[in-house]
Amino acid sequence: MKNISIIALATIAIITLAFRQHSGGVYKTNTGNISFFSHTPVEDIAAENHKVKTAFSSANGKLQFSVLIKDFEFEKALMQEHFNENYMESTKYPKATFSGMIENIGMVEVTTDGTYTCSVSGKLTMKDVTKEVSTTATFTVKGGIVNAKAVFNVNPADYNVKIPRTVINKISDNIKISIDADYAHQH
Amino acid sequence: MKRPLILALSLLVLGAIFFIYTSFNKKHTDVATADALQELSAYELFAAFDASETEATQKYAEQVITLSGLLLHRDLSNDQEPQIILEGDGNDGFIRCGFKEEYLQNAMNLTDGNDVKVKGLCKGFNDAGDLDLLADRDVVLSNCILIALD
Repeated sequence: MKNISIIALATIAIITLAFRQHSGGVYKTNTGNISFFSHTPVEDIAAENHKVKTAFSSANGKLQFSVLIKDFEFEKALMQEHFNENYMESTKYPKATFSGMIENIGMVEVTTDGTYTCSVSGKLTMKDVTKEVSTTATFTVKGGIVNAKAVFNVNPADYNVKIPRTVINKISDNIKISIDADYAHQH
Repeated sequence: MKRPLILALSLLVLGAIFFIYTSFNKKHTDVATADALQELSAYELFAAFDASETEATQKYAEQVITLSGLLLHRDLSNDQEPQIILEGDGNDGFIRCGFKEEYLQNAMNLTDGNDVKVKGLCKGFNDAGDLDLLADRDVVLSNCILIALD
């Protein structure tokens, strides 16, 4: 009887350990979406990138992004050209990165379907300028995929993006950045 | 005397309007009809970025190139831009090629492990540097089309 109890306890311990190892892993995608939207009374400007590299650790909440600036696609080719050459200088500064934390990652059950709201904060780097940003993200777990959605705003001037006076009324100083990424567990 | 001046000014104004209109409505690069800057292998392209991201970005970024390589797998996880992954260096280096939505079926028809040839617009090198969760490194191409192998 005693032996059976020990075997049962050992089995439960092994299953729990295996579950923890699975749930405490890295979730990653190379096909995340980031879009931005600038609204002014004169003009709306939007662009999208569908090859965003991002990952988070469900064990410690570490969250990272790396995105190629040249891969943002605009409806108008001329806008895309100005964005890359004049404002973002994307040959000199080809990437934007984010490194931060999901502050209450413990509440996200990555192995159980459900929706969780978390605070996210960290350092956003563009054009060699690093600033703290924070927002609220929604994590939705469904069938082993963790979808994350978040929105935050940036002021181009904070990242050394110089807007010429002639077009200053066409570009917002409060650009909305939207993130939508489906993370899969990395084996 | 006045008439030629008015005519010249009118032509100048019309020319300026035409220039502004065509600039503003400039089309995105059509990969299918554009001449490729260079034809090279996935290994050669990755090696160029691995050796010097700055030099390779100046040479290849926003240029149409034709690339042949080994298809490792198809990544159809983003339905707005189906992607395929070519071997870049046999280790943690890859070439990530994005297609327009309408080419989803073409991407699905490919077989992992086969050689493929694509033509696309090079966007640069997504090497996340010291971000430890993003260790793999991709040279990224967009607006790709498949090319028949020779």
